[in-house]
Amino acid sequence: MSTEQQVLQILDDVLSLGGRSASFNRSTALLGAIPELDSMAVVSLITALEEQLGIAVDDDDIDGSTFATVGSLSDYVSAKLG
Amino acid sequence: MPEAFFLDAPEGGQRFCLFHRAERAHARVLYVHPFAEEMNKSRRMAALQARAWQAAGVSVLQMDLLGSGDSSGDFGDASWSDWLDDLQLARSWLDGQGNAPLFLWGLRAGCLLASAVAQRWGDVSGQLWWQPPVSGKPLVQQWLRLKLASAMKVEGGGKLALDDIRAQLRAEQAIDIAGYRCSAALLDGLERARLLAPTRGRLGWFELSRASPPALLPVSQQTMADWAAEPAALHAEAVNGPAFWQSTEIEVAPQLLARSVDWLKRA
Repeated sequence: MSTEQQVLQILDDVLSLGGRSASFNRSTALLGAIPELDSMAVVSLITALEEQLGIAVDDDDIDGSTFATVGSLSDYVSAKLG
Repeated sequence: MPEAFFLDAPEGGQRFCLFHRAERAHARVLYVHPFAEEMNKSRRMAALQARAWQAAGVSVLQMDLLGSGDSSGDFGDASWSDWLDDLQLARSWLDGQGNAPLFLWGLRAGCLLASAVAQRWGDVSGQLWWQPPVSGKPLVQQWLRLKLASAMKVEGGGKLALDDIRAQLRAEQAIDIAGYRCSAALLDGLERARLLAPTRGRLGWFELSRASPPALLPVSQQTMADWAAEPAALHAEAVNGPAFWQSTEIEVAPQLLARSVDWLKRA
């Protein structure tokens, strides 16, 4: 599974999207565009990414730009996976 | 239908309780609920489990801790040690309902509280932990991150730094996050809390997993491996299901309910 696919699966779980993420692509807007993505969901998302992908998110990275789109988030995770 | 009532707390407050009474109960369970919003999101699962146990001959007491749910007090006034005291209050009441073996059932941060009082009391027959965090530290980090996340703006800029938040916490001895005011005493206690390997009784460690096959978190496996001596009768299991304590929609994990009833039956 690609990083983007893993991120989409985690997004689907955390936000209870029920498979809606299947229609998402890199340019799909996240923060501000998906009502389910409130601050609680952002933290759950970060925790899930950390636990399931084994990355450590720096608090400085908790920024609008990281969560702007599926693409920005996947790129961030890919960079962390090194 | 559970019995709903208030218990008088020593400092003058009241704690809201729900008791699922089983006739001729062969076990008593004391629920230790999770922290803040996780408590609300997991109400349905807790109710389903209590009901399932009642039908299986187990009595279950659920008490809202100081400042939580329908109990008196402001969340901002609660400290970790207040909550430990509350569990003593609950236990004392439960001891008046017969002497069937007593089990502690914790969910998330509740497991940390359960673990602490189990050690204090030294006589529980067992503990059931649902999604236990190995320490309170990551929970506090997640909690403080909530504040960072809510200050996030799509266009960037003007973001909070974790240092600012910790400074505010030190200065005011309290912090407002996601509609909850938390005292420094509470976050401090939570941060220091650790899961303690039970020295007696059975331990059921359950986690929810989306993996196929379901798998325990690496950090959990490591913790169990690190325990100097394996606690008597440790049962650790991952089941498929949603992280219902944090999911956007209220969700249930039927497998967890069934496996928990089963575990207690064998305990």
